[in-house]
Amino acid sequence: MFELDVATRHIKSRRRQTLFSVIAVSLAVGIIIIFMSMMGGYTSILIDSTTENQAHITIMPKEGEDYIHLYHGLENYVYDLEGVKGVSSYFQGEAALQYKHNAEGVLLYGINPEDENRVVNRDKYMLAGEFASIENPGSRMILGFKLAKNLDVGMSDTVTAQIPGADPTDFTITGIFQTGTPVDETMAFVNLERLQDFYGSGDVITGMGIRISDAYAADTTANGIDRETGYDAISWMEQNAEILTLLETSEGMVYFFYIIIFGISGFGVANVLIMIVMEKMGEIGMLMAMGTSRRSIMLIFLLEATILGMMGVVVGCILGYLASAAIASITIPIPPDMYFGMDHLPVVIEFKNFITASIFAMVINIIAGVFPARRASKMDPVEAIYSV
Amino acid sequence: MSEKNIIQIKNLTKIFGDGVEIKALDDVNLNIEQGEFLAIVGPSGSGKSTLLNQIGILDSPTSGTILLDGIDVTKMSDKQRSITRNKQLGFIFQYHHLLPDFNALENVMMPLLINGVKRSKARKIASQMLEEVGLGDRLKHRPNQLSGGQNQRVAIARALVNKPGIVIGDEPTGNLDSKASDNIYELLRKLNREHNQTFILVTHDERMAAKTDRIIRIVDGKIAEDSLNGNSD
Repeated sequence: MFELDVATRHIKSRRRQTLFSVIAVSLAVGIIIIFMSMMGGYTSILIDSTTENQAHITIMPKEGEDYIHLYHGLENYVYDLEGVKGVSSYFQGEAALQYKHNAEGVLLYGINPEDENRVVNRDKYMLAGEFASIENPGSRMILGFKLAKNLDVGMSDTVTAQIPGADPTDFTITGIFQTGTPVDETMAFVNLERLQDFYGSGDVITGMGIRISDAYAADTTANGIDRETGYDAISWMEQNAEILTLLETSEGMVYFFYIIIFGISGFGVANVLIMIVMEKMGEIGMLMAMGTSRRSIMLIFLLEATILGMMGVVVGCILGYLASAAIASITIPIPPDMYFGMDHLPVVIEFKNFITASIFAMVINIIAGVFPARRASKMDPVEAIYSV
Repeated sequence: MSEKNIIQIKNLTKIFGDGVEIKALDDVNLNIEQGEFLAIVGPSGSGKSTLLNQIGILDSPTSGTILLDGIDVTKMSDKQRSITRNKQLGFIFQYHHLLPDFNALENVMMPLLINGVKRSKARKIASQMLEEVGLGDRLKHRPNQLSGGQNQRVAIARALVNKPGIVIGDEPTGNLDSKASDNIYELLRKLNREHNQTFILVTHDERMAAKTDRIIRIVDGKIAEDSLNGNSD
């Protein structure tokens, strides 16, 4: 394979140009790997916190109805579905909470704490008190820490809940939670039975939360429930369609930038090769005179593009890995109530990112090599030889 | 000398340029026998290099045929031409055109490697060839470490390494002083005698032309004179 010999000698003899084009390619690969790792980090933290902090599937009443009646049967049905890990029936209603001179509008959630914990781990977010304290249908309430702050209430204080058409009822604060999301300002939990009582609705619920073992199967499972029961089952993907669309759009945008970055590095490689082709005209002519086919001439320069690309890819992957690891290890002071309690930049170093970036770079490099290679192979040997 | 015509040129015409046409070769007919050592001479622009490039199938004619060893090369595909150049033709140019990134041995090995000869075998043949041109002690030198005359010797070794039937030289001594020129001439002559290869040299060095067996003088794309020199063995 004399083509490879010639290609490697060309590259070796042009150390400086080789160095620059390798730097161009490796920077492109490195930057893109860092981008991908950070994008992946944000995406996974967003999706993880989304799937962790809300039910994977929510069953809503049938169209035109306010409640799900006879929900115990539905509970049993859902429990028997494959992959279901938790089912929590809830009753949700709006109310005004009053403490001394402060009043706030809230969303009251009537739940069974044991069931609820299986769908969303509420224990984890308790600042004070126990989530299980609303186990029994007493007048106890757990609320978000910002809501508590706005009302200026603390543990064991008593707030008054008011809804139109019902007597105001006092609830004792037995817990305060903090999730780092807007619900801290609007949500309060009460025992399910107690809340049904308060609203005078009878034994009905307004919805049912479900947790399954594979969050990504939520769509399929939700569709199944929809079909089988006629209730409106919504997956977390559907519920967060906007976020997911946003993620997809930004990923598309980022790919657009990847192409630009790779394009620039590709031009660097093309530039080096065009220079080599120009400089080596006489040599190319002589190789043709010696019987080198046009195909082999083309191959020589495509090999050069490939070698330059490979060197850039290897260096770039190492660079990308080191930089991503360095970024991941930096602890930054972000207030924990913002950004889902992160204290460092989310970075996910994934093998597939390296593969994607490498393949991407190689393809663009080879494309960049095609023009100079074709130019070399199309040379008139006589012209090339007498150009020196 | 063998009586076999290794080169047969019939009605060869080459016209350059679109628009203003220049007739570089005008209905040339020429036969060259195997083992001949001949010079093509003529003023610059007369068409002598054009004729040489036609014989070397580096260029295609406008009309006419060229038979190398009885095969019409004007009808060959690009690939066949490459193969023919590799196996049947050796080239020596005014500038040595050695690959600067390869040493003398590797340069001489190149036609063999292009031909698909194994590296170890190619190395053996190439070093023998370099020995033959008097550079047995310069195998590992790169072109920039050798003198003009030495580089031209490497180029000759490279032209001859595939044992081609025809060796063409376009001003092979044009860049050398007269002493180096004489040495190169002697070398070419020696190789011609030893291997019975056909040598066609384009030159405007009349002194050198006078030492060949046959002189073909080209003027305005036509053979103006074709004379035997009486130098032959």
